Amino acid sequence: MLEVDNLVVFYGDAQALWGIDIMVNEGEICALVGSNGGGKTTFLKAVCGLLPIRQGSIRLAGKELTHAGAEERISLGLSMVPEGRKIFYNMTVEENLLTGAFVKRSWHRKQELMDRYFRLFPQLEKTRKQMGGTLSGGEQQMLAIARALMSQPKVLLLDEPSLGLAPKMVDLVMEMVTSIKQAGVTVLLVEQNLSKALQVANRGYVIESGRIVLHDSAAHLLENPKIKEAYFGL
Amino acid sequence: MVKRMVRDTSNKLLGIARDADPRWIAGLVCLLAALPIFIRNDYHLSVMILCLIDASLAVTWNLMVGYTGILSFGHQAFYGLGAYLSGLLAIKLNISPWLGLPLGGCFAALLSLGIGLPCLRLRIAPYVAIATLAFSEIMLVISRNWVSLTRGEMGLSGIPPLSDLSLFGSVKIPFSTGARIPYYYCILIIFLITMMSVYFILRSKMGLALKSVRENQDAAASLGVNVTQAKLTAFLVSSFFAGVVGSFYAHYVSVLAPGAVFGVGKMVEIVAITLVGGIGTFFGPVAGTFALVVGLEMLRGLEGYRLMVYGAALVAITLLMPNGLLTGLKTVYHRYVRTSKQSLSRT
Amino acid sequence: MDYFPILMEQVINGLVLGSMYALVASGLTLIWGTMKMLNFAHGELYMLGGFGLYFGLVQFHLPIWLVVPVVLFLIFVLAFFIEKGLLSPLVGKPGWEVNAVVITLGLGIFAQNLAFILWGGDFLNVPYVAEGAIHFSVIHLAWHRVYILALAVVVLIIFWQIMKRTRFGLAMRATAFDHETATLMGIPHRRVYSVTFGLSASLAALAGMALAPIFSVNPWMGMGPLVKGFIVVILGGLGSFLGAILGGFIVGISESLSVLFFPSGWKDLASFILLIIILVVKPSGLLGRKEW
Repeated sequence: MLEVDNLVVFYGDAQALWGIDIMVNEGEICALVGSNGGGKTTFLKAVCGLLPIRQGSIRLAGKELTHAGAEERISLGLSMVPEGRKIFYNMTVEENLLTGAFVKRSWHRKQELMDRYFRLFPQLEKTRKQMGGTLSGGEQQMLAIARALMSQPKVLLLDEPSLGLAPKMVDLVMEMVTSIKQAGVTVLLVEQNLSKALQVANRGYVIESGRIVLHDSAAHLLENPKIKEAYFGL
Repeated sequence: MVKRMVRDTSNKLLGIARDADPRWIAGLVCLLAALPIFIRNDYHLSVMILCLIDASLAVTWNLMVGYTGILSFGHQAFYGLGAYLSGLLAIKLNISPWLGLPLGGCFAALLSLGIGLPCLRLRIAPYVAIATLAFSEIMLVISRNWVSLTRGEMGLSGIPPLSDLSLFGSVKIPFSTGARIPYYYCILIIFLITMMSVYFILRSKMGLALKSVRENQDAAASLGVNVTQAKLTAFLVSSFFAGVVGSFYAHYVSVLAPGAVFGVGKMVEIVAITLVGGIGTFFGPVAGTFALVVGLEMLRGLEGYRLMVYGAALVAITLLMPNGLLTGLKTVYHRYVRTSKQSLSRT
Repeated sequence: MDYFPILMEQVINGLVLGSMYALVASGLTLIWGTMKMLNFAHGELYMLGGFGLYFGLVQFHLPIWLVVPVVLFLIFVLAFFIEKGLLSPLVGKPGWEVNAVVITLGLGIFAQNLAFILWGGDFLNVPYVAEGAIHFSVIHLAWHRVYILALAVVVLIIFWQIMKRTRFGLAMRATAFDHETATLMGIPHRRVYSVTFGLSASLAALAGMALAPIFSVNPWMGMGPLVKGFIVVILGGLGSFLGAILGGFIVGISESLSVLFFPSGWKDLASFILLIIILVVKPSGLLGRKEW
């Protein structure tokens, strides 16, 4: 569904990504894990079009995205829940959801979509008229995910959804990710919280210093001694 | 391709302009001092006089905006305040124009606190720009309407010229005849003093303080820089010299109209000159003055289009050299620091 | 009690003037909100509106219901392409805050002097769209002024609704808050900038057209509204649409009332004094967020 080949990204004169190859199959949850500064967010931003690509290609459902602008990629079926949620504080919860439905195909059905997600996230419905900035971290995360789903994406990118959340909220978020997959949306989950991510994912990639160092099924990765040593200190 | 050529040339010029090398200052002054030998034409001399007036204004504006990061659009207010004070003192109280020069400067500096103090806590450039512009507009309104004092739009006329000087007892320097040469050397000396003052400030601890305030006020404050003192110094010094120059102008032209000194036209001139020449660099304002003021004079027939040229120059410079001359004060500073170190290792 | 009718007349004149300031300032504040820039050419857009009306009505003898939309449209297009061509290469890049001011300042001065060269410096008269006045009890109010007040109120309400309810308004507010995240919603933020700039220009041009019959047109007519516009924007709070409207009316009424006590040449001081007060007391403005 999402194919990234030999992605090279620079920040000015400094190289951040050194030829990343990642493939996400349709209908699966693919995890991209690694420690801080490894290049996870850089990767996601490049895929979305927020960062320019020096080399490489990106394909979504066979369609070449590499030269498309960010807005075009969204309308072609990509969507991202950014790191830090990035809720619009100057709008209500409802309005935040509506921005997610900006793409034409969703705008026609915005009421229907909004009703659907309010039903799925009743906690969100309670806050529907509140301003975005007044929500708690967990509520904001729910809102950010729902907002990203409003555009009816083929592939959903999640950038560190567990960041700053209490353990119970993290579990809730991971449940949500699983139900998103079950609804037929392909997911690329970027996480620092390795164990939680690999528990819900089908496959995983490990990225270090801008390079993919491991990739395998999630189950195998969880048992991999190198991972256990590096990330769990075992 | 053209962009790169332009950028490379500007970088090279920046290198020269940036380093406030005393040798270049001396060279420039000698050149300017010798000028009247080559230029006898009264009209050309008067162009040079106006040029030096503008250069002084640009140098002081640059101190405030380029080096301290206070985006002031009210600099012309200090110019006008000095001019009107000195003119009025001479007319109403018969005070010698020579005394009027420093008095004009002091008056402008004093009033600069009126806008400087409220601006102290404004951080975003647009706020300061609007506040300072408004300050200047207030002066315009006052000078236009307080007719009993300033004669408003009718103009304050009859301002006495600088009084004749006698040096060493016997040599008499006539100002009252309206001959250009004495005025030229007078403004040249004022320009020199202004430049040297700015030079010494920049070289001193205060200079470092100013630049650090430009970069990041909070970081500067946390490092122990007295941000308030730095900003006020910039205001006071810039406005003082602008006021002196204004006083000179008053006695040079003998007639003052509110729009000529307080107007936006003057403001745009100062901004255009400094930006074209290179904001935040030492010789930038001077270079810009010669480029624009003299350049315009040479292109005869464009006199009426003067302001249009300034406007177009502002647009062109910003678009073509945003990374060279107008990066916004931050990147100019980084380049300054890096290449100063390079030039040190070169020598 | 003899003062009452004069007082009321001045208050209403203040409302009329204030509504014009609100039009000018709301455009400025919209641009600041989305693009984080001050448009120093705003006064010239106002001026072009005035000249457009002059040419349409006086030179080409076209009916006003044709001239106004055409001029608004032309100025929208002009501003749209100015943003696209001259501003968008620099938006968001380092030094943007200063660059934007300088470029628009340059454009403004250029336009002023081009107008002077093309059309001369004389004050050109533009006829009133409606003659006569309305009287209730002892108060006179020229019909023209009633119309422009009504026009301003209607336009501002329409704008407000556009921002609150339409897809574009949502896009504009999202872009203003966080343009990167807005991009993630599929919002073409660069087009939002261009359209916002165009709309803001139209607001200024509308104000220019409305006031042209009262003040006449000349190349420098935009400078006063520019400075006043900025003062109103700061008074109301940079970025706040409602703040610009509120500020506009406050300045308008203050100015009109000041004429009762001081010679009219001094009325500009009213707005400056308000500026100083707000800068000292609450720099972020009456309705602004704390980002000064």
